[in-house]
Amino acid sequence: MNELIALMVIIPIACALLLNLFHKKDNTVKIIAIVVAIVLPLIPILANFGLHYFGGHAPLITNPSLLEKVPETIANSSLAIFHPAVTYSYEAIQKVFIFFLGIVAFFAIFTSLSQNKKISGVLMFLMFMGTAAVTALLLSDDIFHMYIFFEIAALTQVGIILTSKTDNNYETAFKYLILGAIGAPMLLVGIGFVLGIVGSVNITDIVYAISQNLVYPFSHSLLIAFGLIFFGWLYVSGLPPFHTIKANVYSQALPNAAALLQVFTVITFIAFGITIFRIFSYLPFFKTLVLIFALLAMILGITMAIMQTDFRKMIGFLAVGELGYIGLGFGLGTELSITAGLFQGINEIIVTALLFIGFGTVLYLTKTSDTRKLGGMIEHTPKLAIMILIGGLAMAGVPPLNGFQSKLMIVQAALDSGFPEIAIIAVLISIVTFMVFVKAFHSIYLKPKPNNLKVLNKPVPNSSIIAITVLLILCIVLGLFPQLVTDSISQFAMGLI
Amino acid sequence: MIDTASIMNILADTQLLSLFTSAAFIIVGLYGAIFLDNIIKKIIGIAFIEEGANLFILTLGYKQGGVIPIFLPGMNAEWFAANSAYPLPQALVLTTIVIGASVLAVMLAIAMVLYKKHGTLSASEIFGDKKIISRNKNSTSKNRGSNNFDDVGDANE
Repeated sequence: MNELIALMVIIPIACALLLNLFHKKDNTVKIIAIVVAIVLPLIPILANFGLHYFGGHAPLITNPSLLEKVPETIANSSLAIFHPAVTYSYEAIQKVFIFFLGIVAFFAIFTSLSQNKKISGVLMFLMFMGTAAVTALLLSDDIFHMYIFFEIAALTQVGIILTSKTDNNYETAFKYLILGAIGAPMLLVGIGFVLGIVGSVNITDIVYAISQNLVYPFSHSLLIAFGLIFFGWLYVSGLPPFHTIKANVYSQALPNAAALLQVFTVITFIAFGITIFRIFSYLPFFKTLVLIFALLAMILGITMAIMQTDFRKMIGFLAVGELGYIGLGFGLGTELSITAGLFQGINEIIVTALLFIGFGTVLYLTKTSDTRKLGGMIEHTPKLAIMILIGGLAMAGVPPLNGFQSKLMIVQAALDSGFPEIAIIAVLISIVTFMVFVKAFHSIYLKPKPNNLKVLNKPVPNSSIIAITVLLILCIVLGLFPQLVTDSISQFAMGLI
Repeated sequence: MIDTASIMNILADTQLLSLFTSAAFIIVGLYGAIFLDNIIKKIIGIAFIEEGANLFILTLGYKQGGVIPIFLPGMNAEWFAANSAYPLPQALVLTTIVIGASVLAVMLAIAMVLYKKHGTLSASEIFGDKKIISRNKNSTSKNRGSNNFDDVGDANE
């Protein structure tokens, strides 16, 4: 059922438009949103692997009857191999990521619907539209198409911040837009350079043209294109120097929305990372450059996280630091490292969502996210505290949880590649992550409760407990049986190299 | 009389000029977005960057002496393939114009809210902490140019 490939994007977009239409009709919005949110993780399970062409045109070479009708200058050239339509490619790697995106999107939507007294069709619109955009990013084999959907995802992120009604949400949204409006056109101009050189924006075509020497791989124009696209990648992923604004974005959103926003970032980072790796990994300095920025993200992320007194910002910076591990996977450039990096991406999606939703319960009960004003919360939510603690340990890479498996693979990959210093840094950052998390956990749950802390006398919403439980189960299952996803990922990584 | 070769040269220069213009747009836009303090001027700078990028991509599809890429009845396919301008950049630019307009609309809407909230369009006053604001109020308008986003991030705490 290859039609389902397109429906993975079309269904959430159609749902988003409907929800916007039914804004203020709470029950209708609730029913539509829940039904579609349940469907989202199911579609990738049902869909067959393959290609989908928007416009219906496969490459000419696959259609001999059509090939006869075109002029010989085209039929005998590489144009016959090029993809004239926007191509969606659905393989095992997309299946894994879209499935987990669907899971987190479901819980983000579910918790949002059950916790907010007034259901916002607009917020639901933004959540579904963002989900559709990042799904398209994963599926698309067209770099311009990816740029467009990234812009849509960025706008939805801004919208989600604006709907949160936190103190500085407009300021953060504006800063994010300003930086985005500088970073995104750089990406666009880079894509323009590639288009000018190769004549296509299809990634497979670009890779073919470069690998077959149809274009000179070390031309100045391609190097400029690389520089611009790489800069754009830093922006879309929130890597340094954009790490501060990305963490601010997370902290300004409501916790369940922030859980979804970090998934958008991770998937955007991975989708563009894979694309850049496919096109430019032949450059001799490519891997070094990626390694430098990955290490910078890890070091700056964790350094900033240590200093935070707002737990939402702390998780935001930890999430940025964790992106560095995925970057290490691309930077080391081996099959094992890329598998480890992508596996780390899945783990980050799950664990960070767990922490945002988990600590969100503290915000729900106390109306504050300042760790200096918090304390003694273990008396109120002891079971939840233990689940969040396990989630934090998963992020820090404590065995036998999922974070441990992926980080161990990254360390092994670094050692195999002859970079023991990177392995040491990765282990050290893991230890510091553990310290940061334990410090925050102590401040919120274990230290004596401040006298002026007011805790709502009502239970934590069941939706949050269900979400945290399921995400925690995923952490444990992937920790015990990593091959459930690594087999698919390693096949993809092998093909990538 | 102007001969064909001269016209071709002028057209070739037109493409070059167009590329230089797009570069100028982007540089001016970057200056405005980064260094100017007024958020409306920043937004205008952003518009310049976007239009520069669009012009750059549009220029890529230009073909010296080419024809409009619309295949009309009676045209020879071989001749059309060899002489028409490249239509893909034009299609791409149409999309980016829409996206750019959306981004600008959202930015302007937020700028309106920020103006209502802070009573100023100065980025350093809107995003700065109290110290920066008081320093700016006590200083001359010359000192209002700086805008450090890293400082702003922490100041929001």
